[in-house]
Amino acid sequence: MMKPILFVSAFALLTSAAVAHHGWGSYGAHNPITVAGPIATSKFENPHATITVQASDKIWTVTLAPTSRMNSRGATEKVVAIGQNVSAYGYPSTVQKDEMRAERITVDGKTYEMR
Amino acid sequence: MTEVAPALFVALEQSGFAASIRQSTWLYPAANIGHIVSLTFFAGAIAVMDVRLLGGLAATAPARLLARARSFALAALAGMAMTGAVLFSAEASHLAVNRAFQLKVVLVAAGLANIAIYEFWARRAVDRLQPGAPMPPGAKIAGACSLGVWVAVAACGRSIAYF
Repeated sequence: MMKPILFVSAFALLTSAAVAHHGWGSYGAHNPITVAGPIATSKFENPHATITVQASDKIWTVTLAPTSRMNSRGATEKVVAIGQNVSAYGYPSTVQKDEMRAERITVDGKTYEMR
Repeated sequence: MTEVAPALFVALEQSGFAASIRQSTWLYPAANIGHIVSLTFFAGAIAVMDVRLLGGLAATAPARLLARARSFALAALAGMAMTGAVLFSAEASHLAVNRAFQLKVVLVAAGLANIAIYEFWARRAVDRLQPGAPMPPGAKIAGACSLGVWVAVAACGRSIAYF
């Protein structure tokens, strides 16, 4: 009878891991950057809102939070609309060039946490 | 992720259907929750079936136990397919080139093939067995393959976010 119990508990363990949240594994947490400039494009969509920011050197794609969290933090569609000046603090992607994931963004002197 | 997805998946992602999933506040998270809830039901039902095929839970004749678990598993599989289609459509061009997702698709196909092989070649003998009777080798192999494959599918599914 030991064998089935082992199998069932192994199964339960592995599937419970599936409930954990997305990781930040593919972002360089040791190397935080700040990207600032006007918002060039804005997608207020799931699974994550994304904006592109015209920084001084290049255009960055900035990954934000799911739309429900954006709204509950006050970072509504209007706050991250095209043309708004944003400063995004976060971590550059180690996979995709010129993409970063924001830990927090500041618009009009107000800071919104993304995590 | 510089690899370019086949046009079919790009078109799916750009469709009005996919856009409405992304633009809805609740649809994507609801599909996500539905996918996980279906997974837990599926995992439970499959675990019962596989343990029975391996010779455990032998107090009941296999046919009865497997039939009950099978209806749960099928309903849960349908739930995962529907919610999975919603999740996939929203990000089709990313997912189509995601290595973890590609491996998951192959493993799902292997899991379904394992079920088909069992149904055609082993099920008839198993359904005649009395409670406590030893399980035929074919049934044990199917049960062991099923456990391994579906656990790997779950692991790949969770890994999509990390590749």
